[in-house]
Amino acid sequence: MADELVVGYDGTDGSDAALDAAIPLAKDLGAPVLLVFGYMPPGQYVSENKDHIEAVREMGEKVTGEAAARVREAGVEVSVELVPEPSAEALADTAKARGARMILVGSYGERPITGAILGSTPHRLLHLSEVPVLVVRISD
Amino acid sequence: MESASIAPQAAPVTETGDKGLKKNAISYLSSIVIGVASTAPGYSLAATLGFVIAGVGLQSPAVLWVAFIPMLFIATSYFYMNKADPDCGTTFSWVTRAMGPSLGWLGGWAIIVADIIVMANLAQIAGLYSILLFSPSTDPDSVILLTTAIGVVWIVIMTAICTIGIELSARVQQFLLGAEVLTLTAFAVVALIRVYSGNALDTAVTPDISWFSPFAIDSTSALIGGVLLSVFIYWGWDSAVTVNEETEDSSSSPGKSAIVSTILLVLIYVIVSTAAIAFGGPDQLSDSDDVLSILGTQVFGSPLDKIIIIAVLTSAAASTQTTILPTARTSLSMARAKAMPAYFGKIHPRYLTPHVSTLWMGGLSILWYVGLTLVSTNILYDSLAALGLMIAFYYGITGFACVIFYRKDLFKSIKNFFFIGVAPTIGAVMLTAILIKSGVDLSDPANSESGTAWLGVGPPLIIAVGFMVMGLVLMIFWRAREPEFWRRRLETYDESIHGGAGAEEVVDNG
Repeated sequence: MADELVVGYDGTDGSDAALDAAIPLAKDLGAPVLLVFGYMPPGQYVSENKDHIEAVREMGEKVTGEAAARVREAGVEVSVELVPEPSAEALADTAKARGARMILVGSYGERPITGAILGSTPHRLLHLSEVPVLVVRISD
Repeated sequence: MESASIAPQAAPVTETGDKGLKKNAISYLSSIVIGVASTAPGYSLAATLGFVIAGVGLQSPAVLWVAFIPMLFIATSYFYMNKADPDCGTTFSWVTRAMGPSLGWLGGWAIIVADIIVMANLAQIAGLYSILLFSPSTDPDSVILLTTAIGVVWIVIMTAICTIGIELSARVQQFLLGAEVLTLTAFAVVALIRVYSGNALDTAVTPDISWFSPFAIDSTSALIGGVLLSVFIYWGWDSAVTVNEETEDSSSSPGKSAIVSTILLVLIYVIVSTAAIAFGGPDQLSDSDDVLSILGTQVFGSPLDKIIIIAVLTSAAASTQTTILPTARTSLSMARAKAMPAYFGKIHPRYLTPHVSTLWMGGLSILWYVGLTLVSTNILYDSLAALGLMIAFYYGITGFACVIFYRKDLFKSIKNFFFIGVAPTIGAVMLTAILIKSGVDLSDPANSESGTAWLGVGPPLIIAVGFMVMGLVLMIFWRAREPEFWRRRLETYDESIHGGAGAEEVVDNG
């Protein structure tokens, strides 16, 4: 389905900021929302990680389920996709494959160096994505 | 890809077919590096060599290669158990399936305890080498408090790194680890050249073939004690075996890089220990936990000696990835199986790490480390011996679990018979024998480093047994509260459940 607004959603305040921006935008554009959660945890050098990945996936399923209900309540069509990739890759790849209109992600407004240490998803996404990215700064 | 449904496996994977070959060549080299480095050879040698020398003197190189044999056999069980059940609980999960929930629980507990103990050692080495980096001539005994303080800071930093899930890029990691291996090699080569050209210390001894013979050690207790310590230096190698197999492209010969990295690893240990003993003589190195820094200065001279200290520090940092992370995942796995409170299974929403488990691991490590330092600094060696007992226990039962789990498939092929039958059994029996023999030896306080007796028994045994009894109590308590996990049934390998490549043989690629 083309024209979707892809929202990177993981239940954090940053992702809520992105979702809050996406809902009115989706209404204005008449576009559906696709919530994407990348559930590949860090530390893949150790391979015995089935449980860890499942735990992350379950958490993603729960938070995106709750968010999807919120979007639906606002009268916007919504779907969810859980992707077994790190978050930035998950968003870029999914948005491209689905021909999405744009990607919305939240930002904590960290300084670049902090973002680099903590692994800033928006920062990575800007380099990876072929689909336009809208970065929504969390309100202070 | 349906838009309305949750489609976890629907992620588009962009394949770059033409890059395949090049990628494969790089991954072959990198999996060799990762295989060698995941045991953190620099740090392992720094922490262990002095104590191995104290036990067996000139025959330390022999002990180092002998200790590898049981590890090799146990690694095959890791490899094949991971194939059937790639669970991050490893021993916990596998032993639970094959031998029942209680043994599985104790195996998981042993992993967690081993990690807490090793963190104290890791912190001690990291703290000491941090000081030596800036002030090479420091006497370790004069800076115990500072070492402990820096060590605690190290644990805090490493715990934070694992909580946030920071990962160096694979390339940076490979560079650092490659540099570590090169530094150790350079150290060995320079030291040996100086020994043979007569430019080593006055205490230097020329290597002899008897150094490599375990039969030249007159006391079985000394040999077993040395092997118990050396088991620790190969710790972590097993996970490299599983990773190797995954990073390797299936069309190339799988397992080849695992074999190469293994041979390299054993060679590094044997050659570096030989060079160290030859250059300094056994007496100077005995009982020291800064063997590499003392010798580094004498072998390389200033300022080149700094590289060996940096190599050990890098190594200590790198080994956090192979200790904290898997252990936090063990408790995560146990929590998810309801073998521990669900609290330990919490995942951080932003970092996606099992942060509760990780933070607990860091906190308990600091508690243990500081407590240990307050009681006696000599206990570092004793805790290493206790650590060896823990590792021998959980590696041993993992070996038995492999044979029991695959028992219906053992006779389906000759390869099966050897790789999932004979090898794990030999490894498990060897480790059990080491465990029992060391347990008996270590019960004599005279065989401990601190030389003191706790309750009339040597501290290493008290530490190990104490932790296991604590585990037993916790297990009984949790079983009474939450019995569900203990209702699990035993399982054997079933291709339809546990996967497999569709071949009738479990072992398909040596």
